[in-house]
Order: sequence, then C-alpha cells, then structure tokens
Amino acid sequence: MRYSFVSKSPEDTLEFGIRLGKNLGPGDVVCLEGELGAGKTVLTIGIAEGLGIKTGVTSPTFTIINEYPGEIPLYHIDLYRLEDGDEFYYMGGEDLMYGQGVSVIEWASRAEGILPEDCLWISIKRLDESEDFRLIELTVTEKRRDLLERVSKSENTGY
Amino acid sequence: MKILAIDTSSMVASAAVMDGQKLLAEYIVNHKRTHSEQLMPIIEKVLESSGTSIRDIDAIAVASGPGSFTGLRIGAATAKGLAHARGIKIVGVPTLDGLAFNLPHCQGIICPIMDARRNQVYTALYKWEAGGFYKLMPHCAIALSELLEELKRREERVVFLGDGVPVHRETIKEELGERAEFAPKNADRQRASSIAELALQALERGEGQDAEAFVPFYLRKSQAEREYDKKTKPEGSL
Repeated sequence: MRYSFVSKSPEDTLEFGIRLGKNLGPGDVVCLEGELGAGKTVLTIGIAEGLGIKTGVTSPTFTIINEYPGEIPLYHIDLYRLEDGDEFYYMGGEDLMYGQGVSVIEWASRAEGILPEDCLWISIKRLDESEDFRLIELTVTEKRRDLLERVSKSENTGY
Repeated sequence: MKILAIDTSSMVASAAVMDGQKLLAEYIVNHKRTHSEQLMPIIEKVLESSGTSIRDIDAIAVASGPGSFTGLRIGAATAKGLAHARGIKIVGVPTLDGLAFNLPHCQGIICPIMDARRNQVYTALYKWEAGGFYKLMPHCAIALSELLEELKRREERVVFLGDGVPVHRETIKEELGERAEFAPKNADRQRASSIAELALQALERGEGQDAEAFVPFYLRKSQAEREYDKKTKPEGSL
C-alpha cells in the first residue's frame, strides 16, 4: 500500500516527518531512500520532533548509528559505509530494530534480509517543477494499513 | 567445585551460584533488556547472598548461544573478564540445552523455541529417556513452518518453551492441536541454574575453555549464504 504526496518545501517535508513520528511506536523501522539533498535528514528531524525528542539530529553517515534518548528512543542509522546486512548484524543492528525504539535507516537496502517484514519504506524524489518540490512516497505492508491511514488523514485535518 | 553461571541470551538476565551439592543462589529478571547495566549488580547479589567471594568460584558458566546478538556479547564479555582475571575456565552451555533442561524428566519431546525474527526460530529437540537427556535434532535456525513439519512427522506430544512461544503459540496450536503443550511460567524462560547444572556435568567430563578461547555462537546464515540459498532454491521453498 502506498501513500504519495508532494512536498513543496523543506517545511512541508518536516511536517510530514512530524506527522509520521507521532504515529510511530517501539519496534517501528522506517527505511529512507533518496539522493543527497533530497531531504532525508529534514524528514528525520521531523520524525524526532513527532516522537517528542528535543536533541538536535545530525547526520549518522560517519557514526553509522546516532541514538536519541526519549520516551521512545530514536535510532538514526546510515548503512552507506557498511558492506552488507552481516556487518549491521554484528553491530547489534537486529537488537536495535526489534528493540524499544524507532529506527530510521538510510541505505536500508544494504540490510535487506535482516530488516523486519513490516518496515515502512519512504522514498523522496526531486520533482522537475521546482527546486524545492519533492515527491514523498510511503509504502507499507497490509499489516500497517492503519498507520498509513492515520498519516494520510492527519494531513487533511490541518495539522 | 563452585560455579557462577550467567545467561543473557534473551530478554531474561539471570545469574546463579551452584556447587556440587546444591543451588546456592539464583536471580532471574525478565523485565527490560538492560543487561549491560544489570548483569554485574545481579552477579554481585548472587555472590553476596550466598556468602561466596569471586575468589571461591572455580569456573564460569555462560549461555553460549544462539540468542540476541547483544545479549550474547554481554554474557561472553562478562564471563571472559571474570574468568581471565581469576585464571579459571569458562564452560559455554548452548542456550537451547539450558532451556530444555528447565523441564527435567519431562515426557515426550521438549522443543525450546527462541524468536529469531521474520518467522524463524532457533530450536532443537530433546528427550528424556531412561534418566538421560538426549538431543533428537541439533540446534538450527529454521522457519517455524519447517519445524512444525518436522514435528508432524513424529507422533509424540511436544512441550514448547522459550520466548518464541508467545509469538507462535496460535500457529503451533492450529498445526499440532492436542499434541502441543506449553511449559508453565516458572520454567519457560532462561534460568542460570539450568546452565549451572549442565556446566557442572560438562566439567566432570573434562570440558571447559580458557577465557581467551571462548566464543559465543550466533547460529545464523551469513548474507553470502542467504544469497546463495536464494539463487539455488525456487521462490517460496524453505
């Protein structure tokens, strides 16, 4: 199942992140795809804010995993520098993903095979119409229909 | 012979002190996975409350796997640190052996299942026969469906235990019906005393390793193996 929407600015992307963050819980895994500058970090900042995390979010490219404590902690993970899922496993990745927090994973396809079945996939693509426009698509399995509906509905209620 | 046993392979953190005569102390906590913070205080408690100094301990027993990656690392690192400092042996006891040993002299097949995620379980099959404890099927990480097929080929009743039970109970009941039974709450999760008892038996057989040599085992296929399987097996097969 897929929900698509057009973000017209970084603020829109941030708001989508907040909306999503408010609907996530322990053990949720969000896989983010999008080229450099697409807005993956902005979206993650939104998710953190939605989860009620106040600490500033920075890029995990060099640290690989950034952990933000909170009522529901956030694990911001970037697998770009890893070879494959094994490396992530041997960092304790599986325990993180199935643990008490929300995981946001960039370059998640490197860990295919150890990702949970019901993770959420988000792709962010640039649109030709304007420098700032992005097509954001959220894809979920049938089991997560609820979440998709809540995230798409809260848009109309004028967040 | 006095041993300190620890099991942090799952959500449960447990430690026990046992000697050749009796179980002196045991601590089991199954609340939050904060083993890195809890394990040392738990060890301190079982030692202290049994009037044991770490200097009285002759060997360290540890649940060696499979299980949670981080949990096994914490257990192994702790066991290695203590054993190295004291110059004593480590006895690694497979986690599933320990779990199955929670049900001594049980009739039928004992089937510990640990949740290995994505509908997979870590499992093995055991049986008590004429006072002895036998392994009918070695440790493996397999799809629950594959395990149930294997069990359907056997006729006996099967007692399940472990943290895979709450995840898969309904499916197991549907597939095996009356033949499936589930261990009671006092016995269905990891207990360091089971690890301790099996370790004492292993020590009698002359087993045990130097701290440097001990490694936990994770029982999982590498990415390369998984990809190889994907290529060589048709879609949807096990």
